[in-house]
Amino acid sequence: MTLVSRIQLRGLTRRFGAVTAVDDVWLDIADGEFLVLLGPSGCGKSTLLRMIAGLLPPTEGTLHLGDTDITHQPPQRRDLAMVFQSYALYPHLSVARNIGFPLRARKLPRAQIRAKVAAVAETLDLTALLDRKPRELSGGQRQRVALGRALVRDPGAFLMDEPLSNLDAKLRAGTRAEIAELHRRLGATMVYVTHDQVEAMTMATRIALLDQGRLEQLGTPAEVYDRPASVFAATFLGSPAMNVLDATVLTVDGTLSARAEDIDLPLGIDATMPDRPVRLGVRPEHLTIAPPGEPGIRAVVTGVENLGSEEVAQCRSGTARVAVRGTRPLGVRTGEALTLTARPEHLHLFDVGSGRRLTWQPGAVPAAV
Amino acid sequence: MTTDEAVGEGSRARRLGGHLVLGVLSLLCAFPVYWLYATSLRAPEDVYSLSVLPWPLSTASYAEAFATSDVLGMLLNTGVVAVLSALGQLLIALLAAYAFAAWRFPFRRLLYLLFVGTWLVPFQATMLPNYVLLSRLGLLETLAGVIIPTLCSALGVLLLREHLNGFPKELLDAARMDGRSSWSTLWTVVVPALRPALAALGILLAITAWNEYFWPAMVLQRSNAVVQLGLRSFLGTEGNDWGPLMAMAGLACLPVFVLYLVLQRHIVNAFVRSGLK
Repeated sequence: MTLVSRIQLRGLTRRFGAVTAVDDVWLDIADGEFLVLLGPSGCGKSTLLRMIAGLLPPTEGTLHLGDTDITHQPPQRRDLAMVFQSYALYPHLSVARNIGFPLRARKLPRAQIRAKVAAVAETLDLTALLDRKPRELSGGQRQRVALGRALVRDPGAFLMDEPLSNLDAKLRAGTRAEIAELHRRLGATMVYVTHDQVEAMTMATRIALLDQGRLEQLGTPAEVYDRPASVFAATFLGSPAMNVLDATVLTVDGTLSARAEDIDLPLGIDATMPDRPVRLGVRPEHLTIAPPGEPGIRAVVTGVENLGSEEVAQCRSGTARVAVRGTRPLGVRTGEALTLTARPEHLHLFDVGSGRRLTWQPGAVPAAV
Repeated sequence: MTTDEAVGEGSRARRLGGHLVLGVLSLLCAFPVYWLYATSLRAPEDVYSLSVLPWPLSTASYAEAFATSDVLGMLLNTGVVAVLSALGQLLIALLAAYAFAAWRFPFRRLLYLLFVGTWLVPFQATMLPNYVLLSRLGLLETLAGVIIPTLCSALGVLLLREHLNGFPKELLDAARMDGRSSWSTLWTVVVPALRPALAALGILLAITAWNEYFWPAMVLQRSNAVVQLGLRSFLGTEGNDWGPLMAMAGLACLPVFVLYLVLQRHIVNAFVRSGLK
């Protein structure tokens, strides 16, 4: 595969009347990348994918595939294959004819179509089902046929719109691994829409996190999880979500510390600065139970959830809710008072107004990234 | 004792009663058709007989019908009119409904309402302008004159658009992604999926065109080119020629029965599915 599969979105915007569904999104999707468009429903991720596919014209901005501006090319002329959420299999055609459909549209010789369909069916374990109609297939089989129809074309890039959302949990995990494996084997560019953070974390080479039509953060799964760019990113990824508490950064004895009525956490930065209100974020799995008398977050356990290998303790600190996640048993009981602590590198600070991440730059006051 | 009946299915007597009512109703519906064929098969002197069974059987009425008029020619002409009119209406309705359902264009709703609104204009209001137009075009006394003004069917557009509205849009998108143009999507994806609806509509339109009397009577005036007009020749001021009349009417019904038998499966499908949507 050549560099042709690089997809560039330059300021793509889509408005429906007064509603802006996608707002000035710039993305450079490298050849061979598995980019996941992640976000809650209504964040514009499917609209963005449909614009890349050519099924929806952008209101503003341009789209480039390789060096070509494809903003105004109809979908059938873009070298892109799409897998739909509903699979969109043609109900009147057999599995073989469904998979061969894009090739017949391209007027390939029959023998070649048959050979390609057979090869794709072989990789997806569909050979025994080739003569069946879609209504005679299970959800997982339909999903594989939809994948096959995309694969058979050998397209410049694959677009997938929540392809696993109609599968049950067990099948989803299996298919997730299959798609990731497929991506490794083909080395093809994939743009994958989902609202499921597990799919995003496990399959993506990069995640584009969207909120209200805007690109909130772009980065590898580890970057997005470990250094969330905003409160939204911090609370969208992770289960349970990151705890976010109101606090103030104070200078105590020459080091910085996050304080509030029930909070006293050192930030591990030796510096002085004027007091500044912040939002303090810490992931449930990074909280540990401190010995009594140590500084930390004072909280009362309100409930314990058993996840099998782990437990989640739901706590209340003042008016805020705090979740703690750890190996089962955590050894806490409902109603127990605790002090929770976390290492300084696991604490995240966000601006109160904008919600953007704050980083410490020596010689300056903390500034928005 | 237990049975497999659902709870509250009622007693055996009630079910029997229901079947009895349905049986009587279907007899009532079938009787005129039976009487038509029975009369056509009576000997000429028994035509007014009230015996339920036509005995002795005679084909004299059929022979007379064939001898006095060109029955086969008329059946053929009527067939041509019915088939061309139905196919033409189907094609135009399909294209219009596809455009209305799958495309976004300015004034779409208004145009659709106007289109469907023509359904409300009664035949009596359009028959004279149509007649004058045909006369200017020199199409009076021709089968083309009978067919052409019927080609645009608001009913067809309405029905097919309703079916297409329930058609998953993702399939249209998928076909476009798979490299089909809009035109090719229509024939490779939409039409196969709409087959039951098209069959149901087609049979409805064909039967309507087959049974049409008034419009062909206007356009074809003096000639008896279609079978419904041919029937006139057995109705006279001195009395009706019941035997050949019934024979010809019986022959005129046959193609409709055959059409229904062939397409029945599709029709039942179409009605069942439109109920499930």
